[in-house]
Amino acid sequence: MRYEYLTGNIAIAEASIVSGLKFYAGYPITPTSDIFEHLARELPKYGGHVIQFEDEIASINAVVGASWACAKAMTATSGPGFSLMLEALSLAVITETPLVVAYVMRTGPSTGVPTRSGQYDVLQSTYGFHGGLVIPVLAPSTPQEAYDLTVKAFNISEKLRTPVVLLSDAVVAHTYGKVAIRERSEVEIVDRSKPSTPLSEYRPYDPVDGLVPPMACFGEGYSVLVESLTHDERGYYAPRSDAQRKLMWRLYRKITESSGKLFDYSSLYLDDCDVALVSYGSTALSTQVAAKTLRERGVRACSLKLKTLFPIYEEGISKLLKNVEKVFVVENNVGLYYRELRGILKDRDVVSVPLIDLDVPLPQEVVGVVDKWL
Amino acid sequence: MRVEVLIAGRGGQGILLLGHILGAAIAKYTDLHVLGSEIYAAETRGGDSRVDLVVADREEEADFIKVAKADIALFMHQLQLDAYRDLVRDGATVFLDKSNITNIPQRNWRIYLEPYTDIAEREIGSSRVANIVALGHLVKITSIVTPEAIEKVIEEIVSREWIDLNIKAFRYFLVR
Repeated sequence: MRYEYLTGNIAIAEASIVSGLKFYAGYPITPTSDIFEHLARELPKYGGHVIQFEDEIASINAVVGASWACAKAMTATSGPGFSLMLEALSLAVITETPLVVAYVMRTGPSTGVPTRSGQYDVLQSTYGFHGGLVIPVLAPSTPQEAYDLTVKAFNISEKLRTPVVLLSDAVVAHTYGKVAIRERSEVEIVDRSKPSTPLSEYRPYDPVDGLVPPMACFGEGYSVLVESLTHDERGYYAPRSDAQRKLMWRLYRKITESSGKLFDYSSLYLDDCDVALVSYGSTALSTQVAAKTLRERGVRACSLKLKTLFPIYEEGISKLLKNVEKVFVVENNVGLYYRELRGILKDRDVVSVPLIDLDVPLPQEVVGVVDKWL
Repeated sequence: MRVEVLIAGRGGQGILLLGHILGAAIAKYTDLHVLGSEIYAAETRGGDSRVDLVVADREEEADFIKVAKADIALFMHQLQLDAYRDLVRDGATVFLDKSNITNIPQRNWRIYLEPYTDIAEREIGSSRVANIVALGHLVKITSIVTPEAIEKVIEEIVSREWIDLNIKAFRYFLVR
């Protein structure tokens, strides 16, 4: 292990290499392009490939293809690019293709203020694609978390055979920080499980004894079907309600039933707290400091930073906040994730703190809003 | 221990390089934790350049990317001193480039006023290393990081042809 001084973006690029990334396809977009540039320089040294395609649609489709060739694959983009990728993300969901999308949010809608920050796309990151399922979403707030959560994103994608979104933002992208860089041997790396059946008996979408089917790749001798139509365990088109029901519930359950295992958070003063400030991404930096400021003034405040945003671990979040009187959900948008949390915390007083800032909100801004409710 | 550092000047004065060298030296070669941010105007020269660092011995204390009240500040130009002086706390250690600053506000600061740009030009041979002359002074007075750590980072990130000039600039105050 060694320490480096990196931005959130470069931490993502470095962590993807240690995670075993072998294929990156992308189209440049602010504020993600330095992930692309760093990988273009560094990944070939580790036997990987970096390709710029004509747009984001081609990029994500190439990533899907690379993953089926057994390469750990990734792309990075921002709002307008992610919108273009949604159709192929849906393809990745039904074909159960492991891949990682680093989604670095900027101010929107549309081109908005392209160089500045925001958290407007938190719901789009998981609900944006068509088909009504859930993609795991992880949100870093520092370069170190960007590094650690990138490794985690690759592991989740491989373990559950799913696309995973690493949801950063323009502030985290450009924040510098001390990052512990680990060698491959120092990091737990998960690889997709491989079929152990004879070639003639392999059924590419048969989960065998769980919810996630072992995955054979092109070129390994197995007959591999990459089927975007509703399919049975063999991968054959099955336009029947029973097949659709079976497939949908398995795809849904393999993500949602893992919510406890995927859940990641950090907190301050949670054991001794009346007023909880819940946040994620760069805004969590502001709420941590705001919680300290409020405590200095005698308010029993705490902060809860959610690093896993989806699937939502309802039981876990509810339990963490069980002794809290009031919950403030602080975010740099019109109050989007608040809508997710208020359903879980029905018996608690949950208040939305929607801040709209082009930069990281200042802690005093958070304190100012919370003050009005106390 | 938690220290906020503010470094500001005009575009072209090497503020971002100075801040990066300091941040990298702390991150790579000390047990301290650091978070920081950079801002700069889009134009190549003349606009605001500013680096904020929050340095702490515990990771959870390096908790924000902008200074609220700087404990250590370095201003390389009058414009940024005027713009950001309220971000510097009472009792702070403040370094000012006398070559570009004439109007010093009445504050309860511990002020070090030296003509970094003139020194760089006359004593080192290029006004372009005024930033590193100032960094040497800041490191000598505050001991926030060892000179050896700074020199290692200079050797790692500065183009080979400019390393010697930067090391010479960095040592100007340290050997005095």
